[in-house]
Amino acid sequence: MDMQVAKKKLGLKEKYQVMTRGLDWEPSYQKKEDIYPYASYEGIKIHDWDKWEDPFRLTMDAYWKYQAEKERKLYAIIDAYAQNNGHLGVTDARYINTVKLFLTGVSPLEYMAHRGFAHAGRAFPGAGPRVACLMQSLDEIRHAQTQIHALSNYNKHYNGLHDFRHMHDRVWYLSVPKSFFDDAVTAGPFEFLVSIGFSFEYVLTNLLFVPFVSGAAYNGDMGTMTFGFSAQSDEARHMTLGLEVIKFILEQDPDNLPIVQRWIDKWTWRGYRVLTLVAMMMDYMLPKRTMSWKEAWEVYFEENGGALFKDLARYGIKMPKCAETIALEKDHLSHQAWGTFYNYGAAAAFHTWVPEKEEMDWLSAKYPESFDKYYRPRLEFWREQAAKGNRFYNKTLPMLCQTCQIPMLFTEPGDPTKICYREVDYQGTKYHFCSDHCKEIFEHEPEKYVQSWLPVHQIYQGNCFPEGTDPTAEGFDPLAAVLQYYHLEFGRDNLDFEGSEDQKNFDAWRGQATKNV
Amino acid sequence: MAIAAIGKYEFAPADAIEKFHGAQLLYIGWEDHLLFCAPFAFPFPPTMPFGAIVEQVLPGSFGYHPDFARIDWEKAEWFKSGKPWQPDFSKSLADNGLKHKDVIRFRTPGLTGIAGSGS
Amino acid sequence: MHIDLRTVSIKPLRHTFDHVARRIGGDKPASRYQEGTFDLQATDNFHYRPTWDPQHEIFDASRSAIRMADWYAFKDPRQFYYGAYTLARAKQQDTAESNFDFVESRGLAADLPVELRDTVLKLLVPLRHVAWGANMNNAAICAYGYGTAFTQPCIYQSMDQLGIAQYLTRVGLLLGDVEVLDDAKAAWMSDDAWQGLRRYVEDSFVVKDPFELYVAQNVALDGLLYPLVFEAIVDDVLAAKGGTAVAMLTQFMTDWYGETKKWVDATVKTAAAESAANKAQLEKWIAHWRDRAAVALLPVARIALADGADAALEDVVQQFNTRLAKAGVAL
Repeated sequence: MDMQVAKKKLGLKEKYQVMTRGLDWEPSYQKKEDIYPYASYEGIKIHDWDKWEDPFRLTMDAYWKYQAEKERKLYAIIDAYAQNNGHLGVTDARYINTVKLFLTGVSPLEYMAHRGFAHAGRAFPGAGPRVACLMQSLDEIRHAQTQIHALSNYNKHYNGLHDFRHMHDRVWYLSVPKSFFDDAVTAGPFEFLVSIGFSFEYVLTNLLFVPFVSGAAYNGDMGTMTFGFSAQSDEARHMTLGLEVIKFILEQDPDNLPIVQRWIDKWTWRGYRVLTLVAMMMDYMLPKRTMSWKEAWEVYFEENGGALFKDLARYGIKMPKCAETIALEKDHLSHQAWGTFYNYGAAAAFHTWVPEKEEMDWLSAKYPESFDKYYRPRLEFWREQAAKGNRFYNKTLPMLCQTCQIPMLFTEPGDPTKICYREVDYQGTKYHFCSDHCKEIFEHEPEKYVQSWLPVHQIYQGNCFPEGTDPTAEGFDPLAAVLQYYHLEFGRDNLDFEGSEDQKNFDAWRGQATKNV
Repeated sequence: MAIAAIGKYEFAPADAIEKFHGAQLLYIGWEDHLLFCAPFAFPFPPTMPFGAIVEQVLPGSFGYHPDFARIDWEKAEWFKSGKPWQPDFSKSLADNGLKHKDVIRFRTPGLTGIAGSGS
Repeated sequence: MHIDLRTVSIKPLRHTFDHVARRIGGDKPASRYQEGTFDLQATDNFHYRPTWDPQHEIFDASRSAIRMADWYAFKDPRQFYYGAYTLARAKQQDTAESNFDFVESRGLAADLPVELRDTVLKLLVPLRHVAWGANMNNAAICAYGYGTAFTQPCIYQSMDQLGIAQYLTRVGLLLGDVEVLDDAKAAWMSDDAWQGLRRYVEDSFVVKDPFELYVAQNVALDGLLYPLVFEAIVDDVLAAKGGTAVAMLTQFMTDWYGETKKWVDATVKTAAAESAANKAQLEKWIAHWRDRAAVALLPVARIALADGADAALEDVVQQFNTRLAKAGVAL
């Protein structure tokens, strides 16, 4: 007997549906709202989860197969790179500071994404998005781990990566990415998907990853380049998910439009503020530069994002208002940010420096409107002073923005000589902001942002000293105590690149590898 | 607009004045001197005379700048929350009306940073 | 043969990250599992409370009644980090693929005795819903549990269960037709045989304590279901009746359970060894959920074993108790 005859063959789409949502059922022993308690409080109305279009169709067996193949390749290269002391192949040792910034600032976020998507992947009453989120959760732990494994070899040879997890939860500038992701994860599952899946993965990923990855490639850091490539191939899936989420929510109910619009406005800005670190990395920290921050923004956000928002217009979504502010900032952002790290170079877990002469020329070519006028004088003054042995280290703690937690370094839109101050009185206390957008975000959800763990205030409250510190003791040195709390070793992990242990070791090792006997 | 949350979502502000061991926060910015990347945050006792800040604290924070030595404090213009404001150097912060987390700035006419660049 | 290679030799400054070194000592390189696991989860200085659970921090050990001085005391004996995990599964799926191919290409499904085929469909296909529940529950444990050493394997477990649900679906499609899936769903929703089990699964969906959920799902339910269905029924009883092909189609599950069990045992053992309070709590939970699972599984076992079900289940429960005794939990 041959049963084949009677059989219907399933198409690709039906097959995947049978393999995912077909597994789900309507519960009867427990109430649906008890099983999915987080599904409705955000106000998003979903009438029919079955309208969800699966953004990609990977059954687990295929997933295992392809991902394993990718992992096998990636680790072979990581091994090879480590075996061959590949780190000596980078342009110069200043480059390694970008890696430090990445590992301390970004990799912990990959992990947060993993847990966040596990939560979202449990929370949605719809089987389709649940599976998609869980698969992304699995991908994200991959990203965290491959980054750690790839950079592990740098940690063996250079300083500042040695306690990246500990630092991420404590160091002042790392509260910026940390609070960004904490913000997303503490929002409801829908907002989380819009914030991370759409705004971050789809709209801003290119601005975070591409500069890092291409910076790595261009500066000879094959290890970073490879995990970057490998992660990007997952991102393609994540981005599709981000896009599908937006389409789905918007098609479900017109009342969702204003909520989604607000989220897109909020998260575009939140994400953009985090990219401040990327901007300075691109313009100041890569020995060989790929493109300027301004160019990157124009290409990746203004052009590509523009095309996307044009498509979204069919649904009534508008380009976030903050795009205008960003356009005004793009000539200044990286310079102001690098200046800040130069100011606080004694409290950062990587090294800073004044750009070389040709580098400044590159900057003025890329920023003809702003660099020579506003930033070159500042940098040259610092260089002169440093040459005289009077390297500038700012020892007074800065005022921070309540929302994005960055020092109040940003200037008035349109006037780069004036710091932008905004404030709000809420329940009898003042709150300060770096911009209209950070202020609006606070005003929408003040209950949330009053909780911000602002590093400067925490230090003044005495919460950032090692356990058992007595701040009243004779000769107590608060900066030293804070650095100890950070697990940051003074004179080794911080201060100027010139004269650092990294610089010395790299030069010695590189010499060994390329000089004749 | 209230936040969307499940159940009560109210938390004490992380930076309530009680947490500062008797001090209150004061933010101070110096206009046209962006060499200092951002305004500073200070924890001062409310009883501290305003003049003490200018004489004992600011030199340590702003003194690196060549303009600082040239400041004529008589001519300095002060702002509080962006509005013109006149401190009394001899009075305490509290008596000058400064509250927790107030922000003040000062302009020093004629001094506009390195080579007049605002840095 | 002799060899004496000279290469550029550079003395590293340190062997691994400090947080790893604080756990294993700084005098040797750490394994990828260790670097990819230890302390990855944030524990301090969370900025905001979750709007979906304002009583807790984002990650909060107090979500569970189990108390650990250090949640990194847990160790996955498989040492799965993502790379090791996917490589292992890729190999297993390769075998599974070739088993499915084999059964298909040689028309073995058609050769199965008709009653046997019906039994298999009746028994195995509704189990896809159980695996789907396990996928949800492990996602929850991963999301709301504490410490990467404990949560990381749960996302793997979650996706494994999704994979198993998909393999069971394929078994259905191979032995029958799309209707088979509908019939199984109908049985799952309304046949008496399945209601106990469905109630168990739905009840587990509302368990809030991640460790209790771990017990309900990974310890108790899987701990009885897999030995009962895939070992006792498929591999022993059905294979002897000419169902070798079916055993091939479920080889993934058998192998997978054999491997996963080690991790579950290690987890229970570590938690129980931590304190008397944990041990007592675990004994209570495990006994409770084991008894519920046993009751729920009996009618399911009858589908294949008829009167032999009680004895088989008893056996399985017996083995389960022995196994947990080894893990330090007396039942």
